[in-house]
Amino acid sequence: MAVGPASLAHPVAGRPFTLKGVLEREGVFSWLMLSPGVLFLLAFIAYPFFYGIFLSLEDRRVASPGVFVGLANFQTLMGDAVFWQVTRNTFVYVAATTVLKLAGGLGMALVMNQRFRGRNLARAFLLLPFIVPTALSTVAWMWILDPTFSVVNWLLVHTGVVAKGYSFLGNATLAMGSLIVVNTWRGMPFYGITLLAGLQTISPDLYEAASIDGATTTQRFRYVTLPIIKPVLIIVTMFSVIFTFGDFQLIYALTHGGPANATHVFSTWAFDIGMSAGLLGMGAAVALAILPALAALIVALTIYLRRE
Amino acid sequence: MRTRREFLTLTAGAVATTALGSRQVAAAPKALTTVRESSFIKAFDDYFAKTLLPEYEKLTGIKMSYEAVSVGGMLTRLTTIAETKSGPEVAMTAINWPHLFDASLVDVTDLATEIGKKLGPWHDNVLDAVVVNKKWKALPWGNIGQLEVYRTDWFAEVGVKKFPETWEDLLSAGRLLKKKGHPFGFELGHGFGDNHGWLYPLLWSYGGREVDKDGKTVLIDSSETAKAVDFCRKFYQETMLEDVLGWTDVNNNKAYLGEQISCTNNASSILVVAKRDFPEIARVTDHGLNPQGPKGRYHIINAVSHAIMSHAPDQPATKAFVRWLYDDKQMSRWLASGDAYYAPFLAGYDNHPMWNSEPRYLPYKESLKTSRLHGWPGPAGHALAESVAKYVLVDMFAKACRGDATKDVIATAASQLKQIYKAK
Repeated sequence: MAVGPASLAHPVAGRPFTLKGVLEREGVFSWLMLSPGVLFLLAFIAYPFFYGIFLSLEDRRVASPGVFVGLANFQTLMGDAVFWQVTRNTFVYVAATTVLKLAGGLGMALVMNQRFRGRNLARAFLLLPFIVPTALSTVAWMWILDPTFSVVNWLLVHTGVVAKGYSFLGNATLAMGSLIVVNTWRGMPFYGITLLAGLQTISPDLYEAASIDGATTTQRFRYVTLPIIKPVLIIVTMFSVIFTFGDFQLIYALTHGGPANATHVFSTWAFDIGMSAGLLGMGAAVALAILPALAALIVALTIYLRRE
Repeated sequence: MRTRREFLTLTAGAVATTALGSRQVAAAPKALTTVRESSFIKAFDDYFAKTLLPEYEKLTGIKMSYEAVSVGGMLTRLTTIAETKSGPEVAMTAINWPHLFDASLVDVTDLATEIGKKLGPWHDNVLDAVVVNKKWKALPWGNIGQLEVYRTDWFAEVGVKKFPETWEDLLSAGRLLKKKGHPFGFELGHGFGDNHGWLYPLLWSYGGREVDKDGKTVLIDSSETAKAVDFCRKFYQETMLEDVLGWTDVNNNKAYLGEQISCTNNASSILVVAKRDFPEIARVTDHGLNPQGPKGRYHIINAVSHAIMSHAPDQPATKAFVRWLYDDKQMSRWLASGDAYYAPFLAGYDNHPMWNSEPRYLPYKESLKTSRLHGWPGPAGHALAESVAKYVLVDMFAKACRGDATKDVIATAASQLKQIYKAK
């Protein structure tokens, strides 16, 4: 029997070959522990991802075999005015909601980090928008934004602010604005709670020392709080941008991309093309069109984080 | 009993085939599942799930199951069934889906011919929806018509006692009604049915067409389309609420039953729900045919049909179930439970008692004669599905209503259609 030098040097060499012995080897055991996670990632992340890329290179219609077409789907998209409108919509939606969620979430975290009566209850309530299933909260928003039954319009009209209610989902600009508000409402607690966790790691001694040195509240925030929570801020922004780029339920339920494509984003448009039109290849190409922007963002943020 | 005999013969045949042939298929199926989109008519869905399926189960011993898909979700479900080649053996189809799923559906020409002989003939215009390359890929059940639903009391207040015959007359009535605080509400957003349901007929009634029969010549850029677009803009601005531009299919029902609009284009579900939950609104609700334009009167076909999936392990037995379902003994009862929501495409049912219980549903039967499939006269294939999914026609009209120039919106639609139909 050929025995390698590593085995000779190993203390278990010479012992009978048992399952327990194999499992006790670090290399085997670590892979064993990792395997459920790796298998999960392979099955539910890697496989769909690579299958998506494969589909995007095919003229693949539903229930029919695909024909390899190379980059033809992407070429078609480049010449489609709606694709560029969808791209614009997606970037406006993601940029506006990210800024609002970041600012609001930071404010929320700073307030929640103060000591006041009922703080724990307030924290629990602030998480509600994030906990309630999106489809359910969207139905509530559907009623809030309905011109006929809208509580917002009712208030505005009855307090004399406006004579006639707004068409929140019928007007292209207001529809996008409304979606941004709803997404911000839903996503802000994610920022708030994560940043709060970051804030709680800051030692009170630092604030005390800064105060003794004569730092104002703004200076304490600028030179103590912000540098310490910056890594958390970047991570939470990265996650949020990824989630928002792929946001589907909210838009699909409220406007379905209307009026006249004014609120269509990559995910809703990809769904319509892939599922409603049965063009699975083209649908995959639309969905993949977000990839370069997302990849660039993730790489940039990761490099920045490492440098820090 | 004839149906039982037929079934037994088929089952025996299937068993014999199985015993002699394939080793994979074991005798008659132990279970069959039918997937359908929930209708707005609960009694209709219940009749299928709680009366018909148990009857068939008792008759044959096959475990019958029903899978209900929420409204608007059937196409997605059908996609997953066809792609994974698993799941329900009998599936509901609509619009032009048999063309999209052609390869996954069993040829049911024999059944269609048989049913047509007994209860037909079939209405010609439904063939576009279900016949693919001369083979029937689904059996039409009934049309979910899209008609004008209106408030008789408010129309009477402005002196309109009978529903207007032409689009121009409807516009005149709408002007008066809007002034009185009763605007119209026709969907111009990205819903799945109530938008195309009136916009294709409007286009056709002005002589406009998306694409020619050949599926290669895009016809949308025409003076007829321009007239339809100009009318639609006027119709929207002078009779409607701004919000219709963002409406999906639920909104017009809500607005009508919330007494916010006096007229919309919808299936009969508004009246059905009103009768159940808002009797005072039901009393003053009626239906009218789509108005005529300069080139005639049109309606949309949405042929709800049943198809057999080719992955069904025992196709003869699955066919036997569908044959039983389309037997007058079953079909008649099931149709009646649907409150005339589904208008059958079989001439034999033109005078069925289902039409007698409520005269206000009769226009839905009447509309069948002038109904056409989306995209007509173009072919009913993938390109049509793409045009519908991309809301080419809806957005053309919606942008014009928003204020864009007629020539611009038509040019955009023409360029999209040329790309979709790969026309030069």
